[in-house]
Amino acid sequence: MRRRDFVKGAATVIPGSVALQMLGTKWAFAQSADFGNDIDVLNYALTLEYLEAEFYRQGNEAGLLDGQEAEYLQQVGADESAHVDGITQTINQLGGMPVEAPGVDFGGAFDSRATYLETAFTFENLGVSAYLGAAGFIKQPAILQAAAGIFGVEARHAAVIGNLLGKPAENGVYMGVTETPLSKDEVLAAAQPFLTGAAGMGDDAAVTR
Amino acid sequence: MRRPELFHGKPVIAFDTEDSRRNFLRGAALIGVGGTLAITRAGDRFALAQDASQNDLDILNYALTLEYLEAAFYTRALENNVVEGRELELVTPIRDHEQAHVAAVSGTISDLGGEPVERPRFRFPDGVLDNRDAFLETASVFEELGVTAYQGQVTNIENGDILAAAAAIAGVESRHAAIIAQISGGNPFPAPMEATATMDEVLEAAMQFIRS
Repeated sequence: MRRRDFVKGAATVIPGSVALQMLGTKWAFAQSADFGNDIDVLNYALTLEYLEAEFYRQGNEAGLLDGQEAEYLQQVGADESAHVDGITQTINQLGGMPVEAPGVDFGGAFDSRATYLETAFTFENLGVSAYLGAAGFIKQPAILQAAAGIFGVEARHAAVIGNLLGKPAENGVYMGVTETPLSKDEVLAAAQPFLTGAAGMGDDAAVTR
Repeated sequence: MRRPELFHGKPVIAFDTEDSRRNFLRGAALIGVGGTLAITRAGDRFALAQDASQNDLDILNYALTLEYLEAAFYTRALENNVVEGRELELVTPIRDHEQAHVAAVSGTISDLGGEPVERPRFRFPDGVLDNRDAFLETASVFEELGVTAYQGQVTNIENGDILAAAAAIAGVESRHAAIIAQISGGNPFPAPMEATATMDEVLEAAMQFIRS
C-alpha cells in the first residue's frame, strides 16, 4: 500500500472532521464554573484519592486476595496513598487548605474477592474520568503535569483490575480509543454512596472551602 | 528516563522523503525554546481547535509518527498470530486503538491546516513479530515510550482541545502499557505517577532507528 493510500484509507475510518468534533467536545462540559482555581481542583482530587486510599487500606486488610493479585492491590493502594501525600503537599505549597479525609462507608465491598475487585474497578475508572474532566480547569503547568501523571497511573490500575476480573478486553480492560471525561457533578454522584458525614461531598464544602 | 535499547540498534523507521524525516526531527529544535513557549491555557482552553500553532502541529506530527510505529508493529505481529487466547483478546484492541489514533491524529492535523507527516517505513528485526516473548518485550518498550512521550508534551501543547485529545489518548496508552506488563511478567505499576520524556529524549531513543 502506498503512503497516500494509507493516509487516505486510514482517514476514512475516522474522518478528520469527525475526529476533531470528538476532540472538540472533550472540554465542552467544562464551561460551567466547576472549579474556581487550581486549589479547588486539587482538593477535589484529594477527596477522591482519600476515598481510594482508605478503600484499599480496608480492602487489603480484609485478606481477600492471594499471590500476585494481592501484590497488585498492595501496589495500587500504595499509589493512592502517595497521591494523597503528594496532593496534600502541593496544596500546602500553594498556600491552600487541604480538605480533610471524608467519612467513608464501603458497604459490602469487602464481602468477597469479586466485590472488592468490582468496587476497585469502579473507583479506578471513575478516577480516570474525573482527572480528565478536571484537567481543563488547571492553570499552572506543573499542576497539570502532576494531574496527568496521576491520571495515567489510575488508567493502569483500572486496566489491570479489569483484567484480574476477566472483563472483556474492550469496554472492560480498555474503555475505548480515548478516555472519557466526567464532570464534577457526575463524579460526585457516583462517589456519593461511599461518603458519609459532614466531610462528605454532599455539597461543595469538601471541594471549595 | 529509561533509555530503551530497541532492536539492538538496528534501524526500524525509514521515512519516504527528507521532508518527512525533518518534520519528525524538528521536534528536537523545539526543546531549545520550550521554556519560553507561551502557555495561554487559562484563556483559550475551551476554544475550538481552529487556531493551532505550528508548535502544536509539530507535536501532533511527533505523536503521529509514534502512533504509526505502534500501529504497524501490532498490525504485522497479529497477522503472524504472535499471541493466542486471552493474550490475543487483549492485544487485538491495542492494535485497533493505535490504528484509530493514527487516523484521528492525522485527520486532526489536516483539519487544522497542517500537513500530516508521511507514514514512515518500518523494519522490524526477525523475532519481534512472530515470537511471543520478543513481541511482548518490544510492545512494552513501545507502550512505555508512548506514555512518557505524551506525558512529556502535556505542558507544551498550547491549544486546549489538542491537549484534551492528547491526554485522552495518553490514558489509553497507559492502559496498554499496564496490560502488556501484566501479561509478560513485568511491573504494571512502576511508579505512582507516569514519567515524562522530552521530545529530545524520545527522539534520542528513536533516532538511532531512523534512516533518512
